[in-house]
Amino acid sequence: MKSNDVLIEVKDLHKSFGKLHVLKGCNEVIHKGEVVSIIGPSGGGKSTFLRCLNLLEQPEEGSVIFEGVDITKLKKNSDLDKHRQKIGMVFQHFNVFPHLTVLDNITIAPILEKGVKKDLAVKKAMELLEMVGLQDKANVYPNKLSGGQKQRLAIVRAMAMEPDVMLFDEPTSALDPEMVKEVLDVIKSLVDGGMTCVIVTHEMGFAKQVSDRVLFIADGNIVESGTPEQVFENPKNERTKEFLSKVLY
Amino acid sequence: MGVGVIEVWIKYYPIFLKGALGTLEIAAIAVCMGSILGTLVAILQLSKNKIINAIAVVYVNVLRGTPLLVQMYIAYFFIPMAVPALDFLSKEQTVMLALILNSSSYVAEIIRGGINSVDKGQTEAARSLGMSSKNTMFRIILPQAIKNILPSLGNEYIAMIKETSLAGTFMMYELMYTKTLLANQYLIWQPLFVIAGMYLIMTSVLSFLVNALEKEFAKSEK
Repeated sequence: MKSNDVLIEVKDLHKSFGKLHVLKGCNEVIHKGEVVSIIGPSGGGKSTFLRCLNLLEQPEEGSVIFEGVDITKLKKNSDLDKHRQKIGMVFQHFNVFPHLTVLDNITIAPILEKGVKKDLAVKKAMELLEMVGLQDKANVYPNKLSGGQKQRLAIVRAMAMEPDVMLFDEPTSALDPEMVKEVLDVIKSLVDGGMTCVIVTHEMGFAKQVSDRVLFIADGNIVESGTPEQVFENPKNERTKEFLSKVLY
Repeated sequence: MGVGVIEVWIKYYPIFLKGALGTLEIAAIAVCMGSILGTLVAILQLSKNKIINAIAVVYVNVLRGTPLLVQMYIAYFFIPMAVPALDFLSKEQTVMLALILNSSSYVAEIIRGGINSVDKGQTEAARSLGMSSKNTMFRIILPQAIKNILPSLGNEYIAMIKETSLAGTFMMYELMYTKTLLANQYLIWQPLFVIAGMYLIMTSVLSFLVNALEKEFAKSEK
């Protein structure tokens, strides 16, 4: 699926929380259509790296160039909002809006921020809900949904903005085991549709199956990067070997 | 001894009722105006600008950290003297101003607390969708915060009903002032029990309503 067009370029990214230096100069290029999984130990900087891509975390140093624009240098907040509309994000804890119905969860951002007409937004939302099998839940509130259903809702909520890339931050880590597959299946269908995806995950089997490339991040650095075969079967770095020897997949 | 509490009530109940109405009215004005002002202060408190933020924090801490009675005396004697522009305010209005400012500091904390009680993930989700900070606040955060804010504002009103008893000191016609009125009739202790009973009834009824509201909100959460 990978093309030669660069979608996101990360240069020398540094991020600290107080005294804790979490990212220590990461460089990475993500191409259009590419599916990149990020694995690594907890606290190693995976999620922080992902959250820097849409500036939910503001890096102290370095740049994030998205579709040719360095979004760390944008002067106006409204410009950043425009770019974020093209970067969908799915969170570990779903973060669906509890005060809005399933349908309104999906349509609120397109209507408010992109000026999409209400009937068009609803039509699009219903198509998306059908895609993930939630069409009969359109008018209920999220508290009536299971974890897996909430996460599927969160995915289509992001898709409704028609993003150019989807970021997934441990999308299945907070789910009951029997709900993991339904969420992974939805992500798989996005991948099959050609969506560029960056996925922080502990699901090694899934990473191996869907990724074009796997990044291993530890101690604030991208330690290893390669095809799933290279990273999983034939890791070069000692740190990667040690990590993979300890995880089951 | 002479007359008892019941007889005083029967004889003078219009005076007490008028006082109670005055209390409810003064408290309502203080909390309503205080809410408007308090919302502004809360927004300033959440500002990222350090100077604006510091001003708001000092405002809240001074008003919450000093007794209301002191604030009322300052408003009553000092403001008309020190700020000639506020000369048009009557004595009653200066006391009212003190109540409003005092209430605004408590409301500001209530609103700030309500906003902070909404999970940070909600802001992140909205911003990641490209929603502006304004839309995020007014469409995502405040509608959720309101469930925490409204019952607390009810409690603030209940607290204010008791606080307004201080306004009687400055001749404002509220429930506590009836004590002063009836002292002229050589009734010293009987009115106090009537007054206490009436405060208790007002606060109990309102507490009941606030609890019902809280339960209603809790139900919609499930």
